[in-house]
Amino acid sequence: MLNPFFLQGSPNEQNLVQDLINEHLKIYGVDVYYLPRQYATTNKVIEEVVESEFKFAYPIEAYIDSYDGYGNQGTILSKFGIQELDDLTLVISRERYEVYISQLIKAIPDGKLTNRPKEGDLIYFPLGNRLFEIKYVEHEKPFYQLKKNYTYQLTCELFRYEDEVIDTGVDFIDDPTEFDGDGTGDDNTGRDQYATTVTLQLIGIGSTATASVGSILNGGVRFVSITNRGNGYTSPPKVGFSSSPVSGRTAVGFATMIGGIVDLCEPDSKKLRVQGVELSNPGFGYTVAPKVSFVGGGGGGAAATAYIGNGIVGIISVTNGGSGYLVRPTVTFVGVASVSAAATAYISPSGSVTEIRLTNAGLGYTQIPQIQISSPNIFVGVGTYIYNETVTGSRSGVTGKVKKWNVNTKVLEVSTVTGNFIPGENIVGAASSATYSLRSININNQTDKFAQNSDIENLANEILDFSEINPFGMP
Amino acid sequence: MFEYFYHEILRKTIIGFGTLFNEISIQKKDDSNNVFSVIRVPLAYGPTQKFLARLEQQPNLNTPVQITLPRMSFEFVGLSYDQTRKVTSTQTFLTSSVSDQTDVKKVYMPVPYNMEFELNIMCKINDDMLQIIEQIIPYFQPSYNLTIDLVKTIGEKRDIPIVLENITMRDDYEGDFSTRRALIYTLRFTAKTYLFGPVSTGAGKDIVKKVTLGFVSGDSNSTSRDLKYSAEPVATKDYDNSVATNLSENIEASNTAITVNNATNIPVKSYITIDDETLYVAKKDGNVLTVVRASYNTKAAPHVSGTAIKTITSADNALIQFGDDFGFSGFSVS
Repeated sequence: MLNPFFLQGSPNEQNLVQDLINEHLKIYGVDVYYLPRQYATTNKVIEEVVESEFKFAYPIEAYIDSYDGYGNQGTILSKFGIQELDDLTLVISRERYEVYISQLIKAIPDGKLTNRPKEGDLIYFPLGNRLFEIKYVEHEKPFYQLKKNYTYQLTCELFRYEDEVIDTGVDFIDDPTEFDGDGTGDDNTGRDQYATTVTLQLIGIGSTATASVGSILNGGVRFVSITNRGNGYTSPPKVGFSSSPVSGRTAVGFATMIGGIVDLCEPDSKKLRVQGVELSNPGFGYTVAPKVSFVGGGGGGAAATAYIGNGIVGIISVTNGGSGYLVRPTVTFVGVASVSAAATAYISPSGSVTEIRLTNAGLGYTQIPQIQISSPNIFVGVGTYIYNETVTGSRSGVTGKVKKWNVNTKVLEVSTVTGNFIPGENIVGAASSATYSLRSININNQTDKFAQNSDIENLANEILDFSEINPFGMP
Repeated sequence: MFEYFYHEILRKTIIGFGTLFNEISIQKKDDSNNVFSVIRVPLAYGPTQKFLARLEQQPNLNTPVQITLPRMSFEFVGLSYDQTRKVTSTQTFLTSSVSDQTDVKKVYMPVPYNMEFELNIMCKINDDMLQIIEQIIPYFQPSYNLTIDLVKTIGEKRDIPIVLENITMRDDYEGDFSTRRALIYTLRFTAKTYLFGPVSTGAGKDIVKKVTLGFVSGDSNSTSRDLKYSAEPVATKDYDNSVATNLSENIEASNTAITVNNATNIPVKSYITIDDETLYVAKKDGNVLTVVRASYNTKAAPHVSGTAIKTITSADNALIQFGDDFGFSGFSVS
């Protein structure tokens, strides 16, 4: 039985101690930020938090217990690259947590316990610009002075980052000062360099290609009609035309192929057949229609008939390839003719028109027709993406979070991507409403300086032969 | 014995091994089964120079996080002789040089060695680990064959079986709260590779290019050969690109009389090539040649007017490349 004439801790004394501690923390402490974890997805049985989000950050004063530096082993080189094994022990006021942070956390969806600091939550430590994860909360140190505990001791380790969403709205936490938003793409020295990202090449403004017809010709090949598609081709055969008379010029054509037809002659759907002949030069000076033959390509049997005529369109030169084409534009000939010419445009991977081939050189032109090439059917990109905003693919519905944006090269880097974006769709920023069309995608985790995936792949391309596949070794 | 050579076989096998795992990705789904994020798992060869790792992975000293996960690293950990795949060491094989088709190279049989590899996978959570492991294991039953161009100069491609030997799992989830959980799986593999010795060049002079057979009659004292046959290889296609003339009309696959621009340079009873087809010239009448189509096992095909006609001459015989088909000159009797 305790001596009843002594008071072993009255509420007033306890409050005094708590106040003194609070005051000390405010004098000697550091302002850290407390980031409560929101549990987005949790697995049962093999119990794990699959997805977490950190969308709130509350400043609180904390005393650094390990005043002579971080604890543990520091920087080590492991099998998995460099690891920072820094620990940090912080002391925060119990009262301050309960009356301040605890009340705010209650309103957060998908949070868990609110009455105490909890393991798994993050602490942003501003002096090192680092994120720590609380791994243990000690509540009985010092041990019941005046029958009460006044502090929490938080043992923290540096955060292991995967794909957690850190979007607190506090700039230097989300984006450790690097995403300056000037769109020059130099924002790569912070935490984001550690995230798995996908690089999207967007298109700003496309320009329309132009082309012109060299001349109107007589006795040239108007078009080629396929009389037998042949079969068994693995690549387009060369197209040969009989030589023109000396004063003329022999036509030049390319075979276009079709695949996927299966019949008795050709049971292999991967083999190709000749579908048509496009002319890069219709020739001129023929007096009788030239013979057409198909040489090479691995198959045989294709046959075609050429038709000649006067007043046909000659060679077409692309005067300006334009830019921003995702699909072949349509080509229209404007001029007076008995039969109008028709042509197909070819585009390069970078999106400009490289060549125009005639499918029909027309008939009866007396004046050189104008060529109209359709404009690249893309949205003219506008706006500036904002760091960490969600962008959505207009067709695929895939979303990602903006990590980097370079307005000059139109390269957008996004993380936490939910699938595959489709080239040609618009990438729309949720907050900024910035919209650009997507040209190409590069799944790239080289921002993680550890990864060598691309290097390995490039080196292996030279030495590996995947053409010989062992039919028994595959699942 | 100790001349310098280095085929980079071990390095190539390491790179080949690495490729197997560089396309693995994991997906995370939210409660309503929508994909939340897709992560392509970073892979690297573990051993590295310490300073380089520090410079590349920590350009700014204040690393904001400990590490990003998941990660995979692989490592070459052992090399042992495999006697089960041994072949006679005196056996050689000849092959034409990849860069210069006329040179013939000789190399002794390689020595079979097993390279042992470790693939380490570190994940933050079990779910990621199970996704990765499930994408790897079905390919190894228990081996997966990789075709690697081991010796580039001779184009020697070998199937290297990569055998999954065992998997060890480490999950330090127990203990006090001050230690970190480490979730690491280690997969051990054996790659059955071959190590080649030096490749000697100029082995072409050792190839028999003429066979002579002599018959001797009479008693055993007689030394003069009464009858001698000899045969030499002749080219079955044109090597020196000697264009004699051009076709003056389109020809079908069945035509045996073909008209050329100028038949002066085409001897009768010789072979010519048009595109990929070889033809035998049986008769010549002005500029019209009577030919046997599809000679030397080539395929008769239509040819377009203006196509070059190349002659096969004795100059081509000297250019037959190693590994090519060739004919025989027939017997010359003396």
